[in-house]
Amino acid sequence: MLSFIGRSIIQKTVTLFFVSVVSFLIIHLAPGEPSQVDPLNPKFTPEIVERFRKEFHLDKPMYVQYVYFYRDLFTGKTVSWKDNQSVLAKIWERFLNSLPLFIVGTVITWTLSFPVGIRAAVGRSGLYDRSTTFLSYLLISIPGFFFAYMLIIVVVTRFHVPVIGMETFGLGDAPWLHLIMDRVWHLLLPSVLGATGGIAILSRYVRSQMLEVEGQDYVRTARAKGVPEEQVHYKHALRNALLPFVTMFGLILPGLIGGSVIIESIFSWPGMGRMAYEAILARDYPIILTVNFISAVLVLAGTFISDLLYLVVDPRIRL
Amino acid sequence: MTVRRVLILAPAVLIIFLLQSYFWVPTYEEQTRGNPGRLNEYIAASIGDASILNPILSADSASGDINSMVFEGLIDRDEELRFRGRLATSWEIYEDAYFYINEEARIPGVGRAGVQQVETLLQRAKAGESPVSPELRTSLGNIREISIVPPREFLVTKSEKAKDEEAAEVKIRVSSPARIRLVLNRVDQDLFDNLSYILGKKYFDSFDAQGCLTVDDEKWQEKLPAYADEILPVTEHNPIVVFHLRPDVKFHDGHVFDANDVKFTCEAIINPKNLSPRIATYEPVKRVEVVDPLTVRIVYKRLYSPALETWGMGIIPEHLLNDEALKKEAIRLGKDPEKFSMRQSSFSRNPIGCGPFVFRQWKSDRHIILDRFDDYWEGPPNYRLYIYRIIPDVLTQEMEFYAGTIDHYGVPPHQVRRLKDDPKYQSFSGLSLGYTYIGYNMRREPFNDPRVRRALGMAINVDKIIKYVLHDQGERITGPFVKQTDYYNHGIPPVPYDPEGALKLLDKAGWEPNKEGWLEKDGKRFQFTLITNSGNPLREALLAIAQDAWKKIGIDVRTDRVEWAVFIEERVDKADFDALILGWLMGLEPDLYEVWHSSQTDPYQLNFVGFKNREADDLIIKVRQEYDHDRQVAYCRRLHEIIAREQPYTFLYVGKWTAVLDMRIVIQETDSLGNVVYKKITPTKTGNFTFYFNKWRKLPELPSFAAEG
Repeated sequence: MLSFIGRSIIQKTVTLFFVSVVSFLIIHLAPGEPSQVDPLNPKFTPEIVERFRKEFHLDKPMYVQYVYFYRDLFTGKTVSWKDNQSVLAKIWERFLNSLPLFIVGTVITWTLSFPVGIRAAVGRSGLYDRSTTFLSYLLISIPGFFFAYMLIIVVVTRFHVPVIGMETFGLGDAPWLHLIMDRVWHLLLPSVLGATGGIAILSRYVRSQMLEVEGQDYVRTARAKGVPEEQVHYKHALRNALLPFVTMFGLILPGLIGGSVIIESIFSWPGMGRMAYEAILARDYPIILTVNFISAVLVLAGTFISDLLYLVVDPRIRL
Repeated sequence: MTVRRVLILAPAVLIIFLLQSYFWVPTYEEQTRGNPGRLNEYIAASIGDASILNPILSADSASGDINSMVFEGLIDRDEELRFRGRLATSWEIYEDAYFYINEEARIPGVGRAGVQQVETLLQRAKAGESPVSPELRTSLGNIREISIVPPREFLVTKSEKAKDEEAAEVKIRVSSPARIRLVLNRVDQDLFDNLSYILGKKYFDSFDAQGCLTVDDEKWQEKLPAYADEILPVTEHNPIVVFHLRPDVKFHDGHVFDANDVKFTCEAIINPKNLSPRIATYEPVKRVEVVDPLTVRIVYKRLYSPALETWGMGIIPEHLLNDEALKKEAIRLGKDPEKFSMRQSSFSRNPIGCGPFVFRQWKSDRHIILDRFDDYWEGPPNYRLYIYRIIPDVLTQEMEFYAGTIDHYGVPPHQVRRLKDDPKYQSFSGLSLGYTYIGYNMRREPFNDPRVRRALGMAINVDKIIKYVLHDQGERITGPFVKQTDYYNHGIPPVPYDPEGALKLLDKAGWEPNKEGWLEKDGKRFQFTLITNSGNPLREALLAIAQDAWKKIGIDVRTDRVEWAVFIEERVDKADFDALILGWLMGLEPDLYEVWHSSQTDPYQLNFVGFKNREADDLIIKVRQEYDHDRQVAYCRRLHEIIAREQPYTFLYVGKWTAVLDMRIVIQETDSLGNVVYKKITPTKTGNFTFYFNKWRKLPELPSFAAEG
């Protein structure tokens, strides 16, 4: 067990190093320049561009830039080129904004997928199963941005209430309950939209897992010895069907930092995804690289956690 | 079964909880009825967030929007686009001109002359003792004062770097001859040309500046001509602008604004440590002198008339940003005071200026909130709050406008017809400051022939483009000036749509249709590639339209869409293209130097089409050196004619913008009797409807206007 953890940590550190090198290279070699050194801006003379390049260490060889960047990152000194704010502080602020969206979205996905999937598996090939299958594929294939626009247009033109952003503007000094509910309302659409794809996919998984388990011998045995149907489904079958989902929990972790670029941009939600996207457009290297690095760490941590979870929940696996 | 119940109840409870929140959110009508304070708030939206709220450092439009509310410049432009005073009450412009005495030159009728003789000669000429041409008479009449600057000996040190060597210091000994200083009543760019009628044609050109310099190291001898031009320019114009400042203007922190703030702002821009993107426009400033707390004199190195406009830049408070203040802040934050500059200062996120609104709060990518400034010198604005929301998506901006949480919405062309007539809204429209064009690489065959360029333009039906692609939200343009200004020459007709005529012109240029219908010259088919950047649907549409139109007259055009960064770096900067579709955003100043002067045709410069025309060059220089509006207008119109004749671009169109506002927003004024009067918002001549923004307010009910003209 300990040796597994040790080995795994060493492997992941090596991977992380390569990820950092490759992402650094890709971002620096991609065409385009940070907007501060944009050579086509007629306002900028070559001297200014040169001075900015120097300020950002862009005049140094690539490996020196690499060392500078990670030195700054680990000492917490990286600042965004766009506004000179500390990158880590910015990411933390955005992370807190994305968090409620992420939590509500995940809770909706996980609470809804199970009942939907189980019901479909139990009443296999029935009307319910067919219609959820149809709906799932519909939701998977609708482009997220299109669905978002449709929903926004319907809500705004039919109900005349604002849905964009984290709160309604110009509420003034409304009572606190009002303000909280207003925020919940603003959370509703983006998190539901973020969850739709997840529900569609996850409920399919649940259904197929359930079907697989329901075909097992022990389920037949349980039925044969006269256990009530309900107990067969929810006690014997469900428990075993849940196994693979435990490991999926670990993989949610990277979603924490990725956020959703499209949903956050459409709803002008000041979250992580949008910040990263705008940083890419402005070629704000410190932000892009830091987000990249943190998400690489989270992906690796996520796989590590799911390995561990598997060890805990599945008694068949021993290292 | 509990498991089953939990599985069903949990999502149901969650969804009901989320949905019920709807009943707590106010609708459009309720927002103002339930919360009268909302009427005193103006909410604007922007696609992008601001980056730095310091007017001397910001370069993006969102920061510019906020900075223009928080800061105030010395001058701005009025309804007619003339300059008007803001923090300055008035200003005057005159000039100090200098020239070195050239003792070697022979002056007609005098011979070789020393400084005293030249001075006397000029004094006499000014007094009208000899008959002269009218131009010279005007130039002479304009001279207020003639004086002598005695000869001087001094040392200049330059840092030079040869290949593969350390930077070396070059010491240059200068013994400058005497100089004549002329103080002029107004700027006169023709002064020295006219004086050469008295002093002799070659008086200035034959001045031997190199002879006055000695370099200590032989190695740098070859650099002497360059040094001479820099250290001892034979003639020098020093335009001077004197601003008289408005008394008793306060910054938001109560500190009184004075001339030191102006000086500080200018010096902060020039200071290389601050990396100001405006450094290039302030580079011609020689020095800023504080005459008294309410008078400031700016001396320029050379004639550069667009410089006046730069004083519209927001003035920053010296007492919060000078070296001492920055040092204190650096120490407080535990940073190295040596490296700490204005860019790192927290001022950029908590700006203090003397504009109509006071900065309150900035939440990145969410909003910026400004309060009105009650001590504003022109009287406080009517709105109590100004909120600037960041909404990166155009469609959601529109939805927020309908939901009442934005007060103003910029309408895209295809929606104009629908929203313009909506009784709930008032709408404004005007021409924007940018134009779209097809540029031809004039270094390449066959685009070096003006007939070919004109013919290509004639083959494209621009009116149809405006009608169908732009939904009528555009106008034709014939040259590189802003259409609303006087500089634009309205006498020039646009290139007509005439494919037949185009063929005739091409025929004259030697292009004839072959058997397959393609145009051919000397056995070579008329073939080229038209490119533009990808991601701009409008330009991509134009690409297809132009290709089709040219194909119809027998030109084989390929098209290509290139990602922006590659497009600029690989194609435009290196002038590696046949023809391209692009747009320029214009400033109101008619300075065409960067884009049209023949000296700017090298790689990485902006005259990438390679336009070279001697008369145009001359006019471009004259325009940027001329301080008299009427003369500037005359030069510009002539320049416009040349460019329209040469057709280096096919000028396509200038777009129109349309904005809608809630009908209940009006201008509120108090008349002489103290009664409150409401007026409809009307745009100025140039279409600027926010010109009277400080007088705007929103009413609870639709107003009825007493006397509508």
